[in-house]
Amino acid sequence: MSEAQVDQTAETEAPGERVTTSGESDERIEDEWRDYEFAGRAKLSVEDLDVYYGDDHALKSVSMDIPSESVTALIGPSGCGKSTFLRCLNRMNDRVKTARIDGSVELEGEEIYRDGTNLVELRKRVGMVFQSPNPFPKSIRDNISYGPRKHGDINKGLLARLLGRDDTAEEAELVERTLEQAALWEEVNDRLDDNALGLSGGQQQRLCIARALATDPDVLLMDEPASALDPIATAKIEDLIEELAEEYTVVVVTHNMQQAARISDQTAVFLTGGELVEYDDTDTIFENPESQRVEDYITGKFG
Amino acid sequence: MSNVRDTALHSDESTTSELAADGVLTVSFTAFLVSWALLFQWLDETTTVAGLTVLRLLGVALVVAAGGLVATGVASRLDVVDTTPSPTAGFSAGVVVGLLWSIFGALLATALLGAGTVLWVSTALVFGVVGSLTSVLPREDIGSTVPVSLVLAVVGGAIALGRIDGGWSWDPAWLSAVVPGSELVPILVVFGSLLAVWSGAKARHGFGAQGREAAAFALIGTVVFGMLSVLALLIGFIVVNGLETMLTGATLSGGRLTLPVIDVTIPWVSFPFLTNVTGGLYVDVPGVLPATIGTLWLVFGAVIFAVPLGVGAAVFLTEYAERGRFTQVVEVATNGLWSTPSIVFGLFGLAFLVPRISGGNSIIVGQLVLGFMLLPLVLITSREAILAVPDEYRDASAALGVTKWQTIRSVVVPAAMPGTITGVILGVGRIAGETAPLLLVFGGPPYPSQTPDVLGSFALTATPPFVTNEALLAPASALPYQLYSTITAGVFPKDIFTNQEFGWGTALVLLLVVIGLYAIGVGSRLYFRRKLHHE
Repeated sequence: MSEAQVDQTAETEAPGERVTTSGESDERIEDEWRDYEFAGRAKLSVEDLDVYYGDDHALKSVSMDIPSESVTALIGPSGCGKSTFLRCLNRMNDRVKTARIDGSVELEGEEIYRDGTNLVELRKRVGMVFQSPNPFPKSIRDNISYGPRKHGDINKGLLARLLGRDDTAEEAELVERTLEQAALWEEVNDRLDDNALGLSGGQQQRLCIARALATDPDVLLMDEPASALDPIATAKIEDLIEELAEEYTVVVVTHNMQQAARISDQTAVFLTGGELVEYDDTDTIFENPESQRVEDYITGKFG
Repeated sequence: MSNVRDTALHSDESTTSELAADGVLTVSFTAFLVSWALLFQWLDETTTVAGLTVLRLLGVALVVAAGGLVATGVASRLDVVDTTPSPTAGFSAGVVVGLLWSIFGALLATALLGAGTVLWVSTALVFGVVGSLTSVLPREDIGSTVPVSLVLAVVGGAIALGRIDGGWSWDPAWLSAVVPGSELVPILVVFGSLLAVWSGAKARHGFGAQGREAAAFALIGTVVFGMLSVLALLIGFIVVNGLETMLTGATLSGGRLTLPVIDVTIPWVSFPFLTNVTGGLYVDVPGVLPATIGTLWLVFGAVIFAVPLGVGAAVFLTEYAERGRFTQVVEVATNGLWSTPSIVFGLFGLAFLVPRISGGNSIIVGQLVLGFMLLPLVLITSREAILAVPDEYRDASAALGVTKWQTIRSVVVPAAMPGTITGVILGVGRIAGETAPLLLVFGGPPYPSQTPDVLGSFALTATPPFVTNEALLAPASALPYQLYSTITAGVFPKDIFTNQEFGWGTALVLLLVVIGLYAIGVGSRLYFRRKLHHE
């Protein structure tokens, strides 16, 4: 204990020198991992993305390509900008009034930060799951069909019935398909009309995943999807993420490094100050990181 | 008498001391109830039980309570019973006892030594300080029982020995009123029994932290009981006075009901006070139907007018407007509007709306004015309710690509519905009984001989505004308006009721209408809550 403390103070005692050297070495390394090669095409490519919250420079010139049909984990200490980065991918940061975003994000080669981008279409294609389960105070069925109904893909109700455009059958099909995908169908198929708030935390989170799948997205963004759940529910969510990666491009933010190692194909490490320090195959990151700071973080010496 | 307990934590058997404390509580609560009964003159003060008048019995009760308190206190001080007293009874107990003793000292000085200011003030001061000290200095079990018991014993003794009785009257020089003993005794006993309840509850739970908590709960419980009694008394009073008027001529099978489709007439409940018009030549039992319908139309119109506007403004203020100077000004203005006197709204209606809309008193101006009054409350409560909707819902909806307006319509407003309805319920309760603005903009003849036929008066015209409604533009009567007219009028036009009787009947119907509206509101709030939450 005391030895570790002594070590830490020794490290922080000569900060100026160390930081410059490590900064230099990281820059050198950055050039190497920037050309991170992966098989298949890039689903999302991010170029020089900067985010400011007022005067706070939250994300500093981040560039990375995210391959399709795989799990990409974003790890790093609290406040390092990984959630900010995630929320840039479906433009959820637009909802923060003080946020200013520079740079480019392309979804299958199409720029999303451009005037005239259809946010409805973008968010239909890039779904999102939040840290704490947030189902609407509606029935399980209504939670899932909420998105498609608001987009006009499913018509229901008196007017639809009068006009002969009632999609109740399609809705039932959609509910069953997405709940199956989210591994929740077995548990709730006999109570689809019950209020979703009556489900357990883990079930609620899987319902949120099913809800995100209902708009038929290509990309699924997950912001620490298991951090509010118990170990058993977490294991279920992790299995689910691996299954989903066969069909969807999944980007997961997590605090839990074991989780990142278990489920992801490639890992990006953000460190304090909103920098992307290293991005590579998960195995490489965890076994043989190039940057000293990443190794320190992963082995628990820092952060 | 040694009290052997199983453990320090457990005590299942009730001890003699606890029984004594229970006795004190029972006696003082009974005295409390009987005193109120005397104050409301349900109980005659000359009633005698076992040869003693009620007033004397109350005095005896106070003395008995005082004896019980001293017994429990002393028993605890001599360690005969297990208690957990604090070292002192505390500051607040000292203040209360000191105040009581100083009042006692002042009265004693004026009675025995004359009314010299210096004299009674100094005596009161000395008594107060001594009283405080007797309560603060000894350990809590003595300090919170014995000084209180002394006060109770002196007051109770004076009453029990007949020094203060029904015939005696208190005529202090500084007060122009004379307080007869028949009122003074119950008032003294009410306060005395509250004191005894406080001290007795302390003793019952062994003093200390537990005892103080129990004493606080006992006092709060007594006060809550008193509050509910006042409410019950109010409703009971109106029912007792109005029921006979309301049931005049009512029979279970005297009426006739013609079923609409099959055209068969069956015996039906007859309730002339509710179903008859008030004026007219051939009405034997004048009823309140026109006024009831008028009140319902007023409330309906005001709600229709105020709810969409209020909820819409709340949505704008919370979801769209930038939080800043503008929203602050609107907030202050709304709160001010809610506390504006209703007669001011009425005057505004009279000066601004009446000449522009109907040229005279009319239902629609009444609806608008009451709607203006309802608007701020609906706005305030729905704004609070919308702010309380978690941001997670909005995030989740936005992440699904749903637009802001759709989110507001299908997630935010439904989630805020119970809160909004609470506001509407409160507001409707206020406007349904509103009289002042109606006097200015709404009221017609106080005893109308026909009900306003609003639904049947809609007519199409070839010129703007294309739809007209004669009934909405005509004055009518409403229950509170009719009540006011009846009470202030000289003589009721029919012989069957006096003004007062008809007024009580109207008041009872008004009460029932308001309770009915409440029931509708509470029911719909429950419905929305069920829908929103897992219940």
